[in-house]
Amino acid sequence: MIKVGLIVNPISGMGGSVGLKGTDGDAYKKAIELGAKPVVPRRVKDTLSLIKRKDIYFLVAKKQMGEDYVREFSFKYEVVGEIKEKTTAEDTKKIAKELISKEINLLVFAGGDGTARDIYDAIGTSVPVVAIPSGVKMFSSVFALSPYAAAKMIDSYPCEITDKEVLDIDEDAFRNNKLAAKLYGYLKVPKIESLLQQGKESSNLTVAERKRKREIAKYVAERMEKDTLYLLGPGTTLKSVADELKIEKTLLGIDAVYKGKMVGKDINEKELLNLLKKHKKAKIIVTPIGGNGFIFGRGSKQFTPQVLELVGEKNIIVVATQEKVSSLECLRVDTGDMKVDERLKGHIRVITGYKEEMIIEVK
Amino acid sequence: MIRLHMNENPYPPSENVLRAIKDSINNINRYSELKYADKLKEALASYNNASEKRIILSPGSEFLLRELINIFSGNRKLIMTNPTFFPALKHAIRNARKIIKHQLSPPNFELNREMILEELYEPTLIIVDNPNNPTGKMLLDRKFVMEILKNKDILLLVDEAYYEFVKYTFADLVDSYPNLGIVRTMDKSFSLAGLRIGYLIAGDFFLKEIYDFPRFLPIPTLFAAREALKNPEYMEENIRKILIERKRLESGLKKIGVTVFSGEVNFLLIKCDIPELSTILMDRGIMIKDLSTDWIEGFYRVSVGLPEENDKFLAEMEKITNNPALKW
Repeated sequence: MIKVGLIVNPISGMGGSVGLKGTDGDAYKKAIELGAKPVVPRRVKDTLSLIKRKDIYFLVAKKQMGEDYVREFSFKYEVVGEIKEKTTAEDTKKIAKELISKEINLLVFAGGDGTARDIYDAIGTSVPVVAIPSGVKMFSSVFALSPYAAAKMIDSYPCEITDKEVLDIDEDAFRNNKLAAKLYGYLKVPKIESLLQQGKESSNLTVAERKRKREIAKYVAERMEKDTLYLLGPGTTLKSVADELKIEKTLLGIDAVYKGKMVGKDINEKELLNLLKKHKKAKIIVTPIGGNGFIFGRGSKQFTPQVLELVGEKNIIVVATQEKVSSLECLRVDTGDMKVDERLKGHIRVITGYKEEMIIEVK
Repeated sequence: MIRLHMNENPYPPSENVLRAIKDSINNINRYSELKYADKLKEALASYNNASEKRIILSPGSEFLLRELINIFSGNRKLIMTNPTFFPALKHAIRNARKIIKHQLSPPNFELNREMILEELYEPTLIIVDNPNNPTGKMLLDRKFVMEILKNKDILLLVDEAYYEFVKYTFADLVDSYPNLGIVRTMDKSFSLAGLRIGYLIAGDFFLKEIYDFPRFLPIPTLFAAREALKNPEYMEENIRKILIERKRLESGLKKIGVTVFSGEVNFLLIKCDIPELSTILMDRGIMIKDLSTDWIEGFYRVSVGLPEENDKFLAEMEKITNNPALKW
């Protein structure tokens, strides 16, 4: 038997059909006023109906947060915790913590970016999650691509696990058609690629992700120049670079390194500009966001057009595992300044391993 | 299982070839003799209008590419495309001194030629499959190839695994350019995948450096390949049938709303937004190649099968695309 927690955000996805970009906070009321219908039940039921394994014991939240869906199937389950009539983010967090205390193996949740953030706040990386896509905004790469894919992940557990990004989208800005995002954290997700067909081209030769990041880090560290200021963007690949330099990196922020020493931790635009005034030579090291390939404009908004202009497009080093970058059609930039975007476009080198580079287009 | 995932030829070899294989196994307790390999080289030289001394045999082209990477990328930079024939790329990543990969991006999957030429300032080995697997696109033309080859420090290996489908080759340049090698296989076009027969048409530089390649291929392989070359019309007829089916498959897929990138070979590159399509199809008894592990999410390669296999694939695809639970 595996113990699987299930949390459903019953209102996620409702804004989409009525043209709202999310249901976090007050937007939910507006969605209801506009006649929005729940979309989550279909998604959750589709997922449950596609699960093949029988050895699952579900621990579910009450009523519309879980129980209502699982009841219709033949799974064994028990209900955990209490929820309010009108559920909020607090319910999600509270239930998630209770489920963890019941020692679940896997947490399945349905929702969008906001729900992913709540789950991350509550449980961090303590257990792997399967995220059923049902929100309006799903910029985070933690989400399964469909109910079918979510069911496959549940069926294949235990399997290889990978870290996927949770993004923090500024909803108010987003509703005004501006996308301001920063990397919020990572959740652990079953790696479904490993389920795919066997054959002479199967990927069992792919070296483990972590090892690849260490190789990248080693290559980058070896090529670092002494008289140059390095600005390390967010992400686990950049953390590997910092590890190689034996400095402690802020996982989700930007840190500055000079002559192998940390000279700025989790710095904002102003601090970046100050540092750039002091140092003649500076380079930015970034990694693209998995799935959409953004190197600037999403995930690291501290790298503003002004900062990028001062550093110069020739001084941008992109790093990413082979696996991540080869899955991208291109890299993307959206700094908010058309001129800066234009200068960053063209083909760029990405360091993908030790003495291993990939040339890819930036759009 | 319907196998549409490995670009195999769905048609078996001719009766004569099957008979040659059966006859050859009578002496299977003995090692192969050098004269059998020589006879095959002679036949391949004549088939390719090349000199016999330039033909180097190998158990499949994958083995050949791996060996060439081992020999020539230790003290050279290596340039390859992504996607390409993935086993070779993976071997290269592990073994080359330094590797530069060029990502081929939709919708045109073109090689950035300028960036390749810019890279040629130091000894380099370039490996390009032409047409490319899995996009089916021709990445090279004569002008570009000659531009590369005029640099003596640059070695170019063109993987022409799908030559018989496109009939476009640079093999005739091998006499003039010592730094050119053409990698071929009889696995696909001649229906001999299970026997693994690859060969190199080598320029002088390669010939000089390769001296201890395996000279003894399995006897059934040598006999089958030689017999197949006696009657290339049989192969050509199969190719004609495959190409007709490819067109039918392409229009069938387009009709149900699947994006198809037209290639020139025995497979199709498709894009489909239904997540985990290959796993869904596998549950329904059909194997296709999911490219998301090594390349871009949502892209799949489908080999052309027998007409009835293609029918079954199209029917399942139609059911899948109409099933909302499988969609995003």
